[in-house]
Amino acid sequence: MSENKVTLESKLTVVSSRPVKSGKTHKLSGVDHAMGYHTLHLIFYYKNEEKWFGSFELDPLRESLSEVLSIYPTVTGRLAREKEEDGGDWEVRCNDAGVRVIKANVDCTIDEWLSSSAFGFDETQLIAWDDMPHDTSTWSPFRIQILQIYHFNSTIPLDNSVVFTHHRIRTNQINKQFQEGGLAIGLSCSHMLSDLTFASSFLKSWSQTHRHYPISHPPFFNPITPNNINNVPNSSSKPQTIITSSTNNIVTATFKFPSSIIKQCLSKIQNTTCSNATPFDFLSALFWTRVTHLKPSKVHNQNHSLSICRDFRKLVKPSLPIGYFGNALHFSNLSIKVQDMENGQLEDMANLIHKHLKEVTEEEIRSSIESFETRKESTPKCMYGSELTCVYMEEEESASLLYESMFSNSEKPAHVSCRIGNVDSEGLIMVMPSSEGGFARTVIVMLQEEELGKLCNDQEILKLEPTIILAGCLVQH
Amino acid sequence: MPSIMPNSSNSSKNKYLKLFYQYFVNHIITLTILTIMICFLIELLRLGPIEILNIFNSLKFDQIQILCSCFLIIFISTIYFMLKPNTIYLVDYACFKPPITCRVPFATFMEHSRLILKNNPKSVEFQMRILERSGLGEETCLPPAIHYIPPNPTMEEARREAELVIFSSMDSLFTKTGLKPKDIDILIVNCSLFSPTPSLSAMVINKYKLRSNIKSFNLSGMGCSAGLISIDLARDLLQVYPNSNAVVVSTEIITPNYYQGKERAMLLPNCLFRMGGAAILLSNKKAEHKRAKYRLIQVVRTHKGGDDKAYRCVYEEEDREGKVGISLQKDLMAIAGEALKSNITTIGPLVLPASEQLLFLLTLIGKKIFNPKWKPYIPDFKQAFEHFCIHAGGRAVIDELQKNLQLSSEHVEASRMTLHRFGNTSSSSLWYELNYIESKGRMKRGDRVWQIAFGSGFKCNSAVWKCNRSIDTPVDGPWEDCIDRYPVHIPEIVKL
Repeated sequence: MSENKVTLESKLTVVSSRPVKSGKTHKLSGVDHAMGYHTLHLIFYYKNEEKWFGSFELDPLRESLSEVLSIYPTVTGRLAREKEEDGGDWEVRCNDAGVRVIKANVDCTIDEWLSSSAFGFDETQLIAWDDMPHDTSTWSPFRIQILQIYHFNSTIPLDNSVVFTHHRIRTNQINKQFQEGGLAIGLSCSHMLSDLTFASSFLKSWSQTHRHYPISHPPFFNPITPNNINNVPNSSSKPQTIITSSTNNIVTATFKFPSSIIKQCLSKIQNTTCSNATPFDFLSALFWTRVTHLKPSKVHNQNHSLSICRDFRKLVKPSLPIGYFGNALHFSNLSIKVQDMENGQLEDMANLIHKHLKEVTEEEIRSSIESFETRKESTPKCMYGSELTCVYMEEEESASLLYESMFSNSEKPAHVSCRIGNVDSEGLIMVMPSSEGGFARTVIVMLQEEELGKLCNDQEILKLEPTIILAGCLVQH
Repeated sequence: MPSIMPNSSNSSKNKYLKLFYQYFVNHIITLTILTIMICFLIELLRLGPIEILNIFNSLKFDQIQILCSCFLIIFISTIYFMLKPNTIYLVDYACFKPPITCRVPFATFMEHSRLILKNNPKSVEFQMRILERSGLGEETCLPPAIHYIPPNPTMEEARREAELVIFSSMDSLFTKTGLKPKDIDILIVNCSLFSPTPSLSAMVINKYKLRSNIKSFNLSGMGCSAGLISIDLARDLLQVYPNSNAVVVSTEIITPNYYQGKERAMLLPNCLFRMGGAAILLSNKKAEHKRAKYRLIQVVRTHKGGDDKAYRCVYEEEDREGKVGISLQKDLMAIAGEALKSNITTIGPLVLPASEQLLFLLTLIGKKIFNPKWKPYIPDFKQAFEHFCIHAGGRAVIDELQKNLQLSSEHVEASRMTLHRFGNTSSSSLWYELNYIESKGRMKRGDRVWQIAFGSGFKCNSAVWKCNRSIDTPVDGPWEDCIDRYPVHIPEIVKL
């Protein structure tokens, strides 16, 4: 097993710079309740070449976090259940309690971390999460992780005064011994409160506040649906609040595809079946077919299905702004007969996916929102991974959201990665933008360990020369 | 003349009678001299100018007699000016404004309390009840080390807090007064609970490269009233050293003293004490009289340590688990009241106008001779002072003093609002309160301010200042960005 490269240093609470007016609460929508089974984790890696990061005590980064939290009162609030008479649903009490921040040290350089596919650089170590307890009043639903990536230079003689006391390393002595290698800022939250778009917009707002720029995606707290939908009091029993993490052996690997290769493949598709094909269509088709290959084979006349998760902020009228607080996710199912997948070409699959995405209508989305509303009281079930799920992020927008979260005027994140907690065994594929830009994409795959191992050695995928990083499984070339 | 309502004619008559009496007694000397001069003038006019000239010529003045009289007058005036104590000017002062990242809302405080004391729900309950009734607001600040779960009270963090608070206040003072570090002749730092070696005053000398012949003092262990003790010490030193500047730094370092145990009597300070500090520039230089804000009139120190109960009422000790904390006894308020009475008895004759003193004397004599049942006359201190700065030790202290001295809510507003915005910052709270009064534009030339502080021991110290020049708003200081929101109404109990 990998040696533990990550040492937890300390835990603190950061509060907003201005007090929140007491008494505000934010009701969570039906979609939010439905996502309650999962957790969301975003990690932004920075090289910190301009040394904009200090110690996070009283430095500008901490101040800018406090500033930005003043306009996100729901991020510093606490989850609670409404009173029984009002429905007993989840809500966020904006009580100004602050957000938990975990500081940790990682013992290697950022380049090492982001380039090696050797075992031991598993991102799960970077995520310090504890599950929602029964009493949510003192549990911070949002957590920020500040991970200082140091490299302990063993050639420098160790000063006797460096003392490691119970994982707490004295910072001022460390700065002399370690050579800095970068920084990772992680944001974790319960999926009930935020989806990927909101979480990234929060981090972008923080980076903009830090550089004294106006915020491009301010938070939006109005509900999707008007509150006069009658909640039929359900006679079902009180749902359990404690979600235990799944015992599936799900691990992650990240595939970074270079822009040139994707462009080539895309032009091939555009010339044949689908003239408007996007990198998402191509990559989701590719991974769908390859992952399906690894699963136990199905009988003819059965179907392979793919669940596609997309953000519907722009698909409803009136459209929701990016800063909409909560989940604006729509899950749709795409089925294909077993023999069609076996006989068909990649181009046909891409075309199929493309058409499916284009054909989603506002009525479909509205009706799924309403059905979630009526199912509010039932226990949230697994949304990602009970069938193979693919997450679609709107191309240009997400690139700007993720890769323009810059804390210094010239340094973009070296890499942004995203993980979902409690994914079920069928797996999850996320097609995300890449630091390279253009047609380059980063595909994050979460599967069972042996399946992922096989996937990393799959010839069809390796043909496209991806760089495989942050793999939780053994990768042999 | 305002129209007087028939049923209040009695009370207004009393009012006018009282005003007349006060004016008469307070200006009796002036009135007497005026009467004598008028009589003299009348006599002169009666005699006529020729008679006056005759009387003048009959007085045979010897040359020597005239010379001797002149010399006598000069001699007496020289002695007078030499023996007169130096006037102590408060040139300016600067209060520490904590960074916004140090803010501690109630919800965060209670959450940390619940997480750290998860096995002692009764202690958590107690802290919540204290916080609800404390009179503190949502913007008070604790040092960075206390924001950790669990808090990180190392010596290094304590030093960092001390550097942050003290250097920040000193830099602010230098900017406001244009003082150069090399011009500081006397440095007094008071911080009760954190006393490292080298001392905090040595830390200041090191940072600002002060002169090697500086007279530096570090007062520790003297509680919340140490600020006025430092002022007293500075005053005494400025009598000895002519033409000097003295800088007094008052602060309390919270980091090493945050109680980590579960005894209720010791958890109380955690709820009330907050980060704060002040740096004050005092001078006896004549040149400062133009720009100085205040002149020091009196400092009166009262120590009740001779009484065992008073001595033990605020006591630092280890609890059953060996964790160090400050335990406050239940009779704290009663002892504070006693100490205050003692202080008032000493300061009364020095500051009260003659009218009040006479009344007090007469009622005292009357009680002794005529009827012991006569109520003792409580002198009206509002006659002696325009502004009051009562150490914001806690809501109970301010309520107690308001009752004892019969002060209106406007008089105690500075104290209450300081408690709300900054919490109990120990020895520096008096300076935040003074700054509040200035920021509200209420400080006019000639106004007298009474600062009262209580502290462990048990001590009650007070200082009287007179405003040297009217202070215009806006005032540079910790209240700059929030003075417009004040005063706020502070409810009895804040629901948490």
